[in-house]
Parts: sequence; C-alpha cells; structure tokens
Amino acid sequence: MAAADSPSAALRRRDLCSRGIRLAGKMRSDVIDLLDTYVEQQGLDASASVAAVEGVPAAAAERWDEQTGPQRLLENLAAYRAFRALLAQMLEEQREQLGEADAAVGRALAAILLQVSAFAYHLEELLRLESRGVPSEEGAAPPPPPHLSLFERKLRGLGVLRELAQWAVRSARDLRQLAKPSPGSGAAPSPAESP
Amino acid sequence: MFSGWNWVAHGLYVILNICSLEVLGGLVQSCGHIIPESPVLALGSNFTALCILNESCLDFGNIYANQIIWKIKNRVVPKEQYREINRTVSSVTFNDTSSLASPLTCNILADGQIEQNIYGITVTVGLPPEKPRNLSCIVNQLSKLTNPMTCTWNPGRHTFLDTHFRLKYRWPQEDFPDCIPKDVNNSCTIADVQFFVNMEIWVEAANALGKAESDPLVLDPIEIVKPLSPHNLSVNSGILPTVLKLSWENRISAAVMKLKFNIRYRITGDTNWMQVPPEDTASPRTSFSVQGLRPYTEYVFSIRCMKEDGVGYWSDWSEEKTGVTTEDKPSKGPPIWRIIDASHSRASWTVHLMWKALEPFEANGVILQYEVTVRAKSSLSSPLEKYNVSTTNLTLKLPNGTYEVTVIAHNRAGASPPSVLLIPASNSKAPVKNVRTLPKDGKLWVGWTAPNSYVLKYVIEWCLMSNSSECITEWQNEPGNVQGTYLKGDIKPFKCYLITVYPLYADGQGSGQSVKAYLQQDRPSKGPTVQTKKVGKAEAVLTWNHLTVDEQNGFIRSYTIFYKTIDGNETAVTVDPSKTEYTLSSLTSDTLYTVRMMAYTDEGGRSGPDFTFTTQKFGKGEIEAIVVPVCLAFLLIVLLGVLFCFNKRDLIKKHIWPIVPDPSKSNIAQWSPQVPAKHNFSSKDQMYPEGSFTDVSVVEIEADDKKSFSEQDLKPFDLLKKEKSTSEGHSSGIGGSSCMSSPRQSVSDSDEGETTQNTSSTVQYSTVVLNGYRDQTPVQVFSRSESTQPLLDSEERSEDHTGGGDSTTQRQQYFKQKGGQDETSTDRACFERTKQITPANEGDLVGFAQLQISGQSSQPLGLGLEKSTQEAALSDVLQTSTEGQTVRPETVEENPPNPLSSDEMPKSYLPQTVRQGGYMPQ
Repeated sequence: MAAADSPSAALRRRDLCSRGIRLAGKMRSDVIDLLDTYVEQQGLDASASVAAVEGVPAAAAERWDEQTGPQRLLENLAAYRAFRALLAQMLEEQREQLGEADAAVGRALAAILLQVSAFAYHLEELLRLESRGVPSEEGAAPPPPPHLSLFERKLRGLGVLRELAQWAVRSARDLRQLAKPSPGSGAAPSPAESP
Repeated sequence: MFSGWNWVAHGLYVILNICSLEVLGGLVQSCGHIIPESPVLALGSNFTALCILNESCLDFGNIYANQIIWKIKNRVVPKEQYREINRTVSSVTFNDTSSLASPLTCNILADGQIEQNIYGITVTVGLPPEKPRNLSCIVNQLSKLTNPMTCTWNPGRHTFLDTHFRLKYRWPQEDFPDCIPKDVNNSCTIADVQFFVNMEIWVEAANALGKAESDPLVLDPIEIVKPLSPHNLSVNSGILPTVLKLSWENRISAAVMKLKFNIRYRITGDTNWMQVPPEDTASPRTSFSVQGLRPYTEYVFSIRCMKEDGVGYWSDWSEEKTGVTTEDKPSKGPPIWRIIDASHSRASWTVHLMWKALEPFEANGVILQYEVTVRAKSSLSSPLEKYNVSTTNLTLKLPNGTYEVTVIAHNRAGASPPSVLLIPASNSKAPVKNVRTLPKDGKLWVGWTAPNSYVLKYVIEWCLMSNSSECITEWQNEPGNVQGTYLKGDIKPFKCYLITVYPLYADGQGSGQSVKAYLQQDRPSKGPTVQTKKVGKAEAVLTWNHLTVDEQNGFIRSYTIFYKTIDGNETAVTVDPSKTEYTLSSLTSDTLYTVRMMAYTDEGGRSGPDFTFTTQKFGKGEIEAIVVPVCLAFLLIVLLGVLFCFNKRDLIKKHIWPIVPDPSKSNIAQWSPQVPAKHNFSSKDQMYPEGSFTDVSVVEIEADDKKSFSEQDLKPFDLLKKEKSTSEGHSSGIGGSSCMSSPRQSVSDSDEGETTQNTSSTVQYSTVVLNGYRDQTPVQVFSRSESTQPLLDSEERSEDHTGGGDSTTQRQQYFKQKGGQDETSTDRACFERTKQITPANEGDLVGFAQLQISGQSSQPLGLGLEKSTQEAALSDVLQTSTEGQTVRPETVEENPPNPLSSDEMPKSYLPQTVRQGGYMPQ
C-alpha cells in the first residue's frame, strides 16, 4: 500500500480503475452481442440453462462487500486468466470447426479475448500498485480441457460467455470499489453506478 | 618487321594461357575476385575494394597486381587511388561513394597492351533510413465492433535503397504482430484495436544500411476515436409551431464511449447553417428538440458526435433530414399601398389597392384570403365595407375623401394583425427632402431626410423608365424611423429608375419626392445624331435630339461636339447636356466641315455618326448689302434723271419732241417786213440782239472724210434722225429748213405749245445768224414766213436737190449756226459731219440736242419717207412762191457771201433756201 500513497500511484490507480471499469463495460457489451451471435451460429437455444462449467470461475461471491481490494483483484485476476485460456480454447475450436467461414464470430471472440487479456493486465497493474505480488499464471492455469463432444463444447462456450458477462459486471463493481478514496472499505456501490 | 610479329605472337600466347587456365579451373573460374562482393554503401562514405589475383594466373599469365586497372563502368579510376598491397592484391579507395557507379571492375593489362577484365562487382549506394517522425494515429470506427486504427508518419528522406517500414504496437504484457504498409511507406492500418488499454505504438524503418525507430506513441485507442456519425436521424414536428424534435441512433456503445453532439440546421434553400448551442447537446442522448424555429418552415438537420470529454475526433456529419414546422398565424399584416386614378371624374377616384404577399417567415403558413376593410373617415356613420379577396389587389371606385383601409391576412392558424393605410383627400403633409441614391453592393440604396413631423412609415415607389415599355410601379414600405433603405427588387444595371419617396403620417400623407437613379452606369449605347439647322458663312447651327432613356445607359453629363475640316485638326466643344442646339462660330467660309457628337455619362462617351456640311460663300446680308445699295444708287440715279428731265421737260420736249404745228390748221398770215414790230418776237430779239448772232460757219469737207467719223460719233445723230423721221410727218417745217432750229414761236395745235408759246400769232419768222467761216464774212439772213405751212418741205426738197447736186460734185457743206439755242443744217451733209463740229459746240448741249437733221444716206428707210414728203413739200413751196413769197433755190457759192450784203439786210425777213450747201439770203 506504500506505493499507493504517492500521488502518481493514486492517479495511476484511478486511471487504471477508470479504464478497467469501462473496459469491463465494453467487454460485457461485446459479450452480450457475441452471445446472440454465438447462440444463433451454434444452433443453441438462448434460453438454454447451462450448468456450471468446470474451470470457469463463478462471478457470484458471498460477502462480496466484505472483500478487500487485493482480494477482489486476485479473484478477478484468477477469473480472467481462466477466461483467457477458455476463450483461447474456444477460438481454437471455432477455427477448427468453422475454419474461416464465419470470421465474424471468430473476430468477436478474438476481440473479447484481447479485452480479457487487457483486463487481466489492468488487474495485475493494480495489484502491483497495491504492492502485492502478482501470482504466476502457472499456478492458476486451468486444468487441461476434457474431451468433450461438439455439443458439449458448444454448451461450454455458451457457459463461458455467460459467465464472462457476469464477471464483467462484477469486475466493474470491484473496480469502482477500488477507485473509492478508502479502498477496501467494503461499501457496496449504489445501483446507479452499475455499468 | 620481325620484332613486330614476335610481339603479336607473344600477346596471343598470353591470351591463350589465360583462357586455358580458365578452362582448366572450370567454366566460371577467373583469375581473381573483388572484395567486398556487391557492397551497399552509404552515400558520402569512403570505400576500399581489393582485387585479389589467383596464384595460378601468376604462373601462367605473367600477370601481377601492379598491372591491375580499376574501372567504374568504362571509366578508368585514377591510379592515385590504387595501392598494390602485394603481387596479387591491389586495392582502390574512394573517399566519397557518391562518385561510385556500377559496375566496379578489376582489369589486367597483359603485357602492357591488352586489357582484360578480371572481375566486377555491383556497388549500391544509398542512405540509412531516417527516424520516422510525426507519428499519429486515428481510430476510424467502421462498425459497432470494428475499430481499425490508422497511423501515419513522416518517413524521412529518400534512401535510394529498399527501405521497409513497420508499425509496431504492443500492450505492456502482450505483443502484437507488426502492421506492414502496403504500397506506401508512411501509413498503416491496424485492423482492430481494443480500447481502454494503453498501447505503445512506434514505427521502424530498416534498409541495408541500418534501421531507425520513431518515438513511441503511448495511448489508449479510445482517445483517438473518430466515431461513426449517428444514424437513422428523424425529424418530427411538435405541438408548438417553433419546435422540431430530432431522434437518432448512436453507433458506438455507450459502454465504450459516452458521446456529445453537435446539431446544425438551416432553412431549406438557405445555405447558412445554424447550430444548436453545443452546451445543450454535450451529454449522451439519442434525441433533441430544436426550438426557436419559424412556423411553417422546412428545415434541414444534421448531427455529429464525438467522445464526451472532447478527446478524439468529431464524427462526420450525419445524413441530412428535413422537417417542417407547423403553421402559426401571420405575424404581421401585409404591406399595403394604393394608386389613385382621378382622371375619369373629379368627384370620385378609382383606387387601386395593392398589398404584398407576406414573406414566408411572416405568413407562417398558407395565406387563404385577405380581408379588406374600407371606411370613410369623413363621416362616422358611413358603413364599413368589407371585401374578402384571394389576390393581392383590389380596385375600388370611391367618392373623393379620406379613407382608412385595413388588410388582414388569414391562414389556417389565424389572422394577422391589420395593416392600415390612410388615403387622405390630399397629400398636404410635409414631404421628405434631399432624396438621393447610392449604388452599394450591387443594390440601390435610397436615402432621404425625414421631415420634422413624426412619420409613421415611408413608401418608396420606383419604376424602370423605358421607351419600350410603360412604367410599372413597384413599391415597398419602410418604417418611419429609417432614412434610407435598399430597393427590394430586381434592379437592373444601366437602366434608369424613377424613385419616389412618400412619408405617411398618422393623419395624412406627404407628397412624393422623386429622383432618378442608375444602379450602374455605362457608356451610352449610341451617340447623338447631329445635323445642321442653319449654315452660314462663318457659323453653323447644329441641332440634335436627346438620346432616349434606353440609349443613355446613365446620366448624360455632357455633350462634346467635334468638328473639323477635311485637312484640319479636330476641334472639340463641350455642350451642356440640356441643350439640343449649338452654334459653331468662327468657321471658314465655303469649307466642308465634318462634325460628330459624343454623349458622355460617368462611364464614358460614345460618338454619333459623322455629319458634313459646307459653309456658305457669302454671309447673311452680304448679297443684300451689295445689291440693295446698287439698286438704290441706280434708282437714285434714275430718280435724279427723272427729276432732272422733269425739271427740264420743256427744254427736252422742245428739242426731242418739239411741238409741231398741225399743218391742217395752218394758214398763211399776212405779214410784211415793213411791220416787223407787229410780230411778237421782241423777247427773242432782246435775248438775242442781232449783233450777237454773228457766227455761221460753213465747213466744207471732202466726202471721204466722212469715213473718219466713227459710228459711235454718229449715233446721236442717228437717234435724232429717227426722231426727225417720225416727227417729220407732222412737221410743217417751221419757217423752212430742217437745219434751222427756230427760236421763233410757231403756230401749233398742241396745248403745250399753247402754254409755252404765243399761239395767237400766225406769223412765223426765223432768224438765222451766221458766222463767217474761216475768217469769211458771215452772212446774216433772216427769213420770215407767216405760214406754218411746211416751208420746211420746200427747204428740204431744195436740200434734196442740193444734195443731189452735191453728190455729183463730191462735195458737202456743213452749216453750223451758232445762235445760242439754234443750229441749222440745210443739208444731209451737215448731219453727217455733226460729230466733227461737235467739239466746237460742246458747251452748248441744248443747241446740240436741238439739231434737226434730215437724214439721207444713213437712213435709207427714212430717206424714202423723206423723199415722198419732200416731194409733196416741194409742190407746196412752189405754191407758196406763187403767192408772193419767193423761195428760190440757189446754190450757195463757195466764196463767202459778201459781208456788205448781210449788212444791207439786217432787219429783213426773207424766205431763204439753201442750195448745194450754201445759204443764200433772199
């Protein structure tokens, strides 16, 4: 926290939080758009319920408002690293499945992947500003993907995107919380501030 | 000769050796090579190349490094740049590579004569890349999810080498593939960028001589976004006639970028855009209500957006959409004016009411009709007359008087305020002053000085003055607080406008003040046609017609008359433009002049056709001045002559038309020489005493001398002869001889004769006073007769006889009687000699005029008459002689008569006769 005391560090943190919030918002927006396209492309039902996907961190958190800043950042970082791996896998599967035939979904997936990466970078930077060590990715690497059928892969993709959308909302809230003058106070953001 | 062959043979040997070596070493083996091989060199640097000979060539070809020649293309490099490193290596050094060119060859001079290429390299000279500068990027949004970023930079100088540029960018934790420009070297587009992460961007330029990188640009691409403009713009009219509501869709997610907007709008047909205040649209939205618009007006709208905080770029303007506001009631009444035609009747007017259609911004809708109300101001009880018309004019016939006219325009939304026009009985109020015009900015400005009274408004009338069309009046209203305005209409240049300003008061109207004006002047389209009205000797009156208003093209400021003779200089005279006549003076008489005329406006002049005229030879009155005095002088002379003749009429009459007594009334009086006192000739005697008549000259001239007299000299005698001949018939021969003019009174029937003579006497006498000739004694003879019988005839007959006798003798006698008034000649010969003796009698004109001549030779016709008369007279004479009066013809002797004989008969009155030129007293 020592680093956070300097004005430049505070400014940097505010900037990172601000842009992280907006990135989360854009990510959510893009994911929502992609979900519609993905469901249509994959021939899925938009209302289909997807059970919890293995390796996908849940956005829901108990006692969310009690979390500290670093704790929030670490959870977010872990989640987005996982999403990054999942989305990369989805992108690979997408290319294997459709080749270059449906470039729009592939481009959208690639864009979201970049956004996830960018958001993970934001989180890492914030952790550094918090003078917290950034955990290595090797430890947080998701388990190797199980052998799944095509339909199962489609459903898993749907689940990843839906959960990412949830995480985008939560991350925005987390960052708003961090951006407040007393980070880690645990005050829940007002609904009006939600993206 | 032999040594020469040896030299050639040696050369061939060397070449064969070289060739054989090459063949032995392989097809591409050469005797040496150059280091470095195909270098790329920086422009301006120094460069050293080495040519290394193979050892094998040394053995077989006897070639060494000192025989190497360096060449650039086909140009030998100066040997100063060579350096023989050893027997197989030669180097060449270039201090400046700019002098290098390809190929650089290493050659050998075999035996100092034959040059053989050993090796060659290609040298490439260029520059290392400069550091790219001015790197800038922009994210041009293509769609909601596609945000390509285009970066541009300045690549720097030309390197002459193949230089590659790469746009490199990365996140702190992630690198991205380079963006490689296609076909250009100064820009590259990254297909998609992610926002909200700082990106480091830089450009790398590289070629064979090195690489250079630009300064990195670190930015979040969201800060350089040029978003797509809002789309699906729609315009809807609201409840209010001054409001239109715009709606649109943004094409960038609000989660990505919050936007602010610019809204611009204009009236359809107008080119000037208006803009909604930016602060009103500085927040994200998808709709906006534009207020303050005109009712019933079509507007065009357009919108653009950019990042809310102003970082980035404005989008392009969206497509334009139009919308129309709803109607509102007209904001003002129509301007109204009138033309009063009072020509038909003195008791009533024909009033042409006219009003202008409201401008769209005043009408606020579609004008459905106009309501016109006319009320007479003179009588309050007069009814209000209303007219509903759809046109903009109304003609009414009204009795003379003051009226108040109101016009109200109606549209769907309501009625306008009324426009009121007072039509007074007379324009008796104060007019404006000093009406003036000024062309300004392609329009015509009219100014005036306001009257002292408060003016409600002004009406400006104007019309185009033309010969070809009638003056169509246009007009406009101006408020009462202005003193100038631009004419609102199609004012054409070079046309004359008559502009009239009327002040309108609350209770009347001032008379109009007019001025003529041009928006723009030009030279006249033609010049005046000049002609002469009157041409004199030294002046000419020129006349011309004014140019028509269509020809003037401006105000005619002056005329200039140019006139000249054929070979003279042109003279110019400036004439006032109001004149149509001018008199040229000081012209040369009887000279051809060419005259032309120019009319000038402010912009220049134009000349009319030439006209020629010739001045007169004589001036006015000159001929009269000559002729009249001459005539007057002539008349004066004639008058004087007449007066003179009148005064001397008696004398003239006596000598030219003597009173000839009527022979038919004559009788022979009894008279006797013894009683001469009875005869009343005392006056004559007193006037001419006997002693005074002494000279009778007898001139004897040879007949041939007659020729010496000119005809001129004889003319007077001819005239007298004629008179004699004509009067001879009446003559009774006063007392005898025709050469004798008698001062005696004679009996005559003539009244005149009676008044001048004593007619009571029947006794005629004559006195002949003769002078001597040539000192000869003159012979005085008095003859007397009481009768008025034509003794003359007897005398003349005797003269005839005498003449006949003289003709044979070729002698002539001339008698000149110097008796004051009387001259007598007794012979025709004397007539012919008259001229000769005239000088002797010049002072006695009367006597000369009284000559009575019996013509003969010069008057053949008269001669005949004379002869017959003379014959008759002769018989009469013979008769009288028988009665006691003896007339005896005798021949006058040449010898002068005896003076004594004349003395002997001084007082005797005897008939006398002249014979053969002589004069014989009887």
